[in-house]
Amino acid sequence: MIEFKDITKSFVSGALKTDVLKGVTFKIKKGEFVSLMAPSGTGKTTLLNILGCLMQATSGSYLFEGVDITTMDDDHLSNIRNKKIGFVFQTFNLLERTSALDNVLLPLVYTDVYPADATKKGIGLLESVGLKERVNYKPSELSGGQQQRVAIARALVNDPAIILADEPTGNLDSTSAQEIMGIFKTLHSQGRTIIIVTHDINVARSAEKIIFLKDGRVEKEEVAK
Amino acid sequence: MKILRVAAVSLGSILKHKVRAFLIVLSLVVGIAALTVIVSMTEGANKMIMKRIQNFGPDAVMVHSGGGKMRGPSTVSEANLTKKDIADIQDLDGVKIVSPFQVSLDMPVKYGNQFTTSWVMGVEPSWQDAWRRGAVKGEFITDSDNEQLTKVCVIGQTAMKELFGTTDPIGESILIENVSFKVVGILQKVGQSPVGTDFDNLILIPFSTASRRLMNQPLYISMARVIVNNPSQGGKVAGEIKDVLRANHHLSATEEDDFRLTTVEEISKMIKGTSQTLHLFLWLVAIIAPLVGGIVLMNIMLMAVGERTREIGLRRALGAKKKHIVFQFLSESVFLTFTGGVIGVGIGVAVVMLLAHSGKPVSVSGPAFMMAFAFSVLIGLIFGIYPARKAAELDPAKAISQK
Repeated sequence: MIEFKDITKSFVSGALKTDVLKGVTFKIKKGEFVSLMAPSGTGKTTLLNILGCLMQATSGSYLFEGVDITTMDDDHLSNIRNKKIGFVFQTFNLLERTSALDNVLLPLVYTDVYPADATKKGIGLLESVGLKERVNYKPSELSGGQQQRVAIARALVNDPAIILADEPTGNLDSTSAQEIMGIFKTLHSQGRTIIIVTHDINVARSAEKIIFLKDGRVEKEEVAK
Repeated sequence: MKILRVAAVSLGSILKHKVRAFLIVLSLVVGIAALTVIVSMTEGANKMIMKRIQNFGPDAVMVHSGGGKMRGPSTVSEANLTKKDIADIQDLDGVKIVSPFQVSLDMPVKYGNQFTTSWVMGVEPSWQDAWRRGAVKGEFITDSDNEQLTKVCVIGQTAMKELFGTTDPIGESILIENVSFKVVGILQKVGQSPVGTDFDNLILIPFSTASRRLMNQPLYISMARVIVNNPSQGGKVAGEIKDVLRANHHLSATEEDDFRLTTVEEISKMIKGTSQTLHLFLWLVAIIAPLVGGIVLMNIMLMAVGERTREIGLRRALGAKKKHIVFQFLSESVFLTFTGGVIGVGIGVAVVMLLAHSGKPVSVSGPAFMMAFAFSVLIGLIFGIYPARKAAELDPAKAISQK
């Protein structure tokens, strides 16, 4: 499903070159629930950006469903983000002054789905995350946990191949955090591939496999207990 | 479909940022309204000028005494045309009418207690054919008036209004520089000359009376109006008149003309020359005003891109291509400038209607308004493209993590 082969990423600023990723290699199979466990400052965000096709690696190869995407142009990467990846962010990233439903439907703006079908699907997804009554609420009228549930519904709207979550519980209280992790587990049980990038070992342990990153490399992989 | 959806996103975004939208629209409204009004005014002025040129007569050549580059009529004080000059011009091929006349500008005219100043012309009966203008009431100057040096006059309608108000002037006597003249006719109304002189503030008296009794110029003639058979031959005939006058006035090759000839071509060149400068200036204002609106648009849109960096990053993360972002921001700009254009043209048309109602020379023309619409859309495209491209070129990874 996803294969990172010796991925490196360097940033150059003036004469200064910083190697953030120094050869990351791992595989994630279809239907797996994986945590990428990386302490802050070890290239977690960079890894997430490459994984989410928001950034290209400096070297190495990234196979997504068997296709090498390291040389793809911006439009193709946009297509992959739109159709294959469902993003869930730490800060929810919902559009202000926009209803929960319209936020969920945002990725469909860039597809050919008919508006009526899209709305039906959006409402269905909001219902599945327990927000049936909040369809027309604005983000400012929702709690943090509810906002993250809207974000999860948005991540699912295009039936993506993977759900990529970046510290999905980082901004939530423990109760909401548990609810959100519960949703991920349910999605996993339905056969979805889920990747959570986190620095929190407790969150990481919700997954079935944890990939530990250290100093820009994979330190170890272990099955979560 | 995608295009429509992204356009709908743009509209939605406009509605969510009403103050910003209002400011952009306002800046365009002012500019486009100004453009509409100015275009209508210049078109109106052009039409008026064309009408005045038409009034001059496409088949006329004016012969003025005195050389140099002075414009306007030649008065008796500079008169140097002779009777022989007039006769020789009359003999030229293609000349239909030659009507000599004396001119004195702004002469004091009095009737009872009423006083005014008016142009006074000494004319022959041929004046009527040469100017295509005669008496609407009463008599015109006759040959016998000229032979007998009678003190009669035909009064223009501006002068008549000044002196007589609503009283019938025919049969009354007026004093022109203390010489008494009897009003025998009222001159047909004509309006303004090509350069804007009121041709109705005019009093006609017999040519000989003017020369000998009023203006003290028995020898020379101040001006003549020549009508040619074929309007397209005006320039050629003017050239021949020039040769005749230079020969008659014994001018050597190095000496300049001591007379001036005016044809309809020259008149239109002259008027267009002066009005073109003004029109150029107006056009500059008309174009700069909406451009300022465009600069305001660009400024506000650039600020919007800055404020909405995170939204742009999010859209890119969720699959928007660069072209979608360009289209979203560009269509926002165009929606706003188009709205500004519609309101601006609306206000402009209202102002033009008001001006037309108050008698100002304006021209209400559809193409001009269409042009104003097109211009407003063009401004949206031109000034919106830079912010839109800037938005599309944002690094999605950086944009989405912006605080």
